[in-house]
Formats: sequence, structure tokens, C-alpha cells
Amino acid sequence: MIETMASAAAPAARPQDTVVRREIKQRRDWAKWGLAVYFALFLFVLYIPMVLMAILSFQGSTGQLTFPFRGPFSIDWWRTLWDTNLFNTIADDVSASGRQSLWLALVAGVLVALFGFSLSMAFRRRWRLKGDVLAFYILMLALMTPAFLVGLGNQLLWRYMGETPSLWYTALGANVIWGIPFSFLVMLAVWNRYDRHVEEAARDLGADGPTTFREVTLPLVWTGIFGSFLFGFTLAWNDFDRTILLQNGYQAQPLPVLIGTWPQSRPILPNLYALGAGTTAVTLALIFVVLIAVTLRLRVRGAPVRRVEEEFGEEVGGSLDVAGTAELTKK
Amino acid sequence: MSSSSIPEQVGAGAVPPPQAHRGKRRRRDRESGWVTAALAAPGFLWIGFYLIAPLVIIVLVSFWTWTDAGFDKTLTTANYRELFNDSTYWENMLSTVITSAIAVVACLVLGFPVAYFLALKVQSLRIQIALFIIALAPFWTSFLTRAIAWTFPLMGREGALNQVLIKLQIISEPLPELGFSTLSVRLAMIQLYILFMITPLFFTLAQVDRSALESARDLGANWWGTFREVILPQTMPGIVIGSIFIFVLTMGDYGTVATVGGGNITSVGTLINSKIGAVQYPQGAASAVLLVIVLLAGVWGITRFANLREEL
Repeated sequence: MIETMASAAAPAARPQDTVVRREIKQRRDWAKWGLAVYFALFLFVLYIPMVLMAILSFQGSTGQLTFPFRGPFSIDWWRTLWDTNLFNTIADDVSASGRQSLWLALVAGVLVALFGFSLSMAFRRRWRLKGDVLAFYILMLALMTPAFLVGLGNQLLWRYMGETPSLWYTALGANVIWGIPFSFLVMLAVWNRYDRHVEEAARDLGADGPTTFREVTLPLVWTGIFGSFLFGFTLAWNDFDRTILLQNGYQAQPLPVLIGTWPQSRPILPNLYALGAGTTAVTLALIFVVLIAVTLRLRVRGAPVRRVEEEFGEEVGGSLDVAGTAELTKK
Repeated sequence: MSSSSIPEQVGAGAVPPPQAHRGKRRRRDRESGWVTAALAAPGFLWIGFYLIAPLVIIVLVSFWTWTDAGFDKTLTTANYRELFNDSTYWENMLSTVITSAIAVVACLVLGFPVAYFLALKVQSLRIQIALFIIALAPFWTSFLTRAIAWTFPLMGREGALNQVLIKLQIISEPLPELGFSTLSVRLAMIQLYILFMITPLFFTLAQVDRSALESARDLGANWWGTFREVILPQTMPGIVIGSIFIFVLTMGDYGTVATVGGGNITSVGTLINSKIGAVQYPQGAASAVLLVIVLLAGVWGITRFANLREEL
């Protein structure tokens, strides 16, 4: 309707009004394809040792550490990890170490998430002020201090105090040290994207501080907190350099220490490959699932937000409950 | 704090603010200061006990006297004097520094195209994230397991690499250098730590303004000119951070050298570890202090490439 009116009102077509469309010559981006091939090669080199290790863990009973594959294809070496009836079983060690590692990593993850979150909250309140630079450098020191220095220093400290280092009081602490800066940086990135106005809006609508925090802030940043937990968990789950210096012989060793001291303490057989491939596969699966879930969630949140009236009907006026806002972000 | 400076600015104007209002501001500031301190305290207490105190004690112990039981609080410089005359220690230091320098350069050269491809050549965001996750996933797995997977099935006299090279008739005899050797350790370091370079590179490259790239091309710059004048300056922080990461991690590495080197190869890390194993704490601590000094010198050298603080 409007278009017809406009065309009726317009004078005769002038030559400068016609748009000349010229085909843009699309050149093939050879650099891109070259780089893609390089990237594929990179992935190949990155993954090939683990793939070879996994393949060799499925050898038969005459299996050795190198190719050729000595068949027949079997899971005998894997069964030594959990079947206590086999003569070359390592099931007891694996289950004790696995449980130790799991608890250690879980506790480390929770502590890292808590510390990183509260530190980032503190920095968010007084960012770029006196003392902040020093505090920031201390956090970076925690990131940059080599692993064995932390191990050595803690061991000396506990000796100085007349104590024996132990997994739960010493190694856990040293593992959390490494996780804190990662968690802190993750949370800083989250706060950078965070729109502070939603908090002001909640407060204007009558929510007090704790309610705002619980119903608005936390739902918006929980992915960051969870990411921090994940950092703490995997760093502690995989750590060798710190833990080897800080455990004592009376406790079950965590898995990385079991694997790392294996070549010195017992014959290397394909069941070491099975153990390595197994722990790697579990970690990779966990990471992929979590990252995909987080990515999906982020995309959902990026969806266009409907107007508040549509979301809550007509009664928005005076008393919008903040729980409703949390509902909105959850969808 | 900006909120406290506002009343003063107003006070300098015509109307002085009421005194009560000013006091309230002050009180709120003080309260918020307490909250900030309470939020920061747990993390910094933990760091103080498990990081700062241990680092201080390393320095202290390095000046203490060695005894059978560990150490005695008698001050001495004997530990350092012994170290300065210990040629094995300095040979190891040199070889460790060379290993780290090779790792930094190799990770930068080999990792840059990967990060460049991911950040600038992959158009679809979904594919970009997926490829990045795939490339980064090994970071989350155990370094030690990766080192074992690198050492035993792949490298070594009978490893897959030697077998493939013989099959392809590139070599006729298995290369012994691929076994428990310095070369093997250095290759393993690159493969294990390259992700620490790619990640910061990726994040800085992803922030490069794409319209600046187009402008550079429109203004007649060729590929190399664009790279040198536009991309490189903007990715300097990523290069510096990645280089520091790799340098520090490889200098302080212990597990990789012990596993890939199979006990034949030593580094400063393994030397210190064996000193600790022999209850020679003061010597171990002194070696660690010297390593840290070399480490800091290296990091300082790397930051000369770009003024990091300004970029941050």
C-alpha cells in the first residue's frame, strides 16, 4: 500500500537511481584451506599418542608396549584394573587411588570455586584501586609459580613445623593454589560481560541485597562458578608434580602418582596403557559433555528476550517478584 | 573511591553538603570496605599459607645449615658456594634453559597458524567453538598420561615413529635419538605444552578488528604487510602471555623429564627432586632459589617484547 503510493509520487526514474549490481568475484581462499590442512595435522599429532596407547591396551595376553599389535583383540588388560581374581590384578590399587583422587579433586574443585568467586566479588567492588595491583600480582604469582616450587616449599614448611606432609592437609592446599587464579580469571571474564543494571533493577523493584544476590546475580553467573569448579577439579585430578612431593607413604596414592611412579615401581605392561586410556577417556567424555551443555545453555540465553509484559501478563505494575526474573533467565 | 570524591567536589562548589549526609557516606564506605576485606580474606589467607609462606621458607632454608635430620637454623652461605662450584648443576641449568627456549619458539611458530586458523579463518561460530574445544580438550587430561603415551608407544627404538620411518624408507636403522633422549624430551615438551600458547593466542586473535584487516587490504597492503602491521601488534599480549606460560612451565617441569627421559635425562627440576629425596633440603632450596632467579630473568626478557602492563 505504502509502496504503491510512494511509486506513484516518485518522478520518472533517473539514471543515478538505478543500482548497478556487479558480480563480486569470489576468490577461493587458498590460505584458509592450507591452514585447515595444517590444523588437521596438528590435531593428528596431538591425539596420536593417546590413540596408539588406547589401541595397544586391547592386545592379547602376549601384548607388549610397542607395535605390532599382538592379538587377539581382548579386554584382558582392562580387566586387570577391576577384576580381583586375575593373577596380575591391580584392582585394589586402582580403586583405592581412584577413590582418593576423586575425593581430592571434588574438594579442590569446591574450594577453588568458592575462593575464586569471593575473590572476584572483592575485586569487582574495588577494581583498579590502591592495593588492587599488588593483590592481582599475588594471584598471578599463584598461577606462575612452578609446580615443584610449591611442592618443595610446602614440604619444607611442614618439616619446619615438625609435621609430615599429608595428602589432605598439604597436597590439597597446594593443588587449590594453582586453581585459584584460573577460577579468578574465569570469574573476571564473567563479570566483564555481566550487566550490573539488572541488580539495580531488582533493587529498585524492592529486593534486598541477599535476595538480589540469590535470585538475580547467582543465576546469571553460575556457569562461571561451575567452570571454576571444573578447573579446580581437573587440575587436582591430574596433578603429579605437587602431589608427589606432598603425600606420605601411609595413604593411598592419587591416580597420577600411581601412574607416574609406575615405571620405577613395577613392570610396565599394557595394563598401564589401559589405566591411562581409561582415565583419559573418562576425563575427555566429561569435558565434552560439560562444555557442550554449557555452550548450548549460553546460546539459549542469547535468544531474544520477550517484552516483560508478555512474560508476566498485565500485572507487572507495582510488585514484580524477583523470582520471576530468575524464572525468565532459566528458560 | 569515586563515591567519596563526589561530596568533596560538591563541597568545592557553592552549596556545602549537609554534614549528616557526608557522615553517612563515610560509614557506607567503611562498611563496604569490611565486606570487600571479608570477601578477599579466605582466598588470600589460603595463598598466604600454602604459597607465600612456603616461598619464604625456601629462601630461608637455602641459607641454613644442612644436618642429617634436615636443617639447622644456623645461617650459612655454604649451600650457594657449593652450587656455584657445581658444574653439573650449571650444565643442567643451561640445558634446561635451551629446552625452554626451544619450546617457547617452537610453540609460537607451530601454534600461531592453529590459533590464526581458528580465530580468523573459521567463519561459523559454532564450528569455531567445536574445533576450539577439540583442540583444547587434551589440556584437561593428565600430562603424565600424555607423556607416557608419547614415550612408550610412539617414540623409542621400537616405537611407532621409528617403524613408520623405516617403512617409508626414510631411514634404514631405527634412530636411537628417539628413545630416552634430550631430543625426545624436547619434542614431548612442545607437544604437551603447546596448548598453553594456542589459548592466549586464540583469544587475542579473536579480538583483532576484522574491519582493520579489510582496511589494510583496501589500502594496498599485501598479506605480509597486514600481518606485520595489523595482526602482530594486536596479538602481542597473547604472544607474551603464552611465552611466559611455556617458559615457566617447561623450566619447572619435573614429571615430563622424568617420564620421557626415562631417568637418563636430568633437568634442574629432577636434580632438585633428587636432592630432596636425599634429605639435602638446604642444597635443594638453594638450587630452587637460583632457578627462580633465572626464571625471573627469562620472564623479564620476554616482557621486553611488549609492554604488558600497558596492554592489560
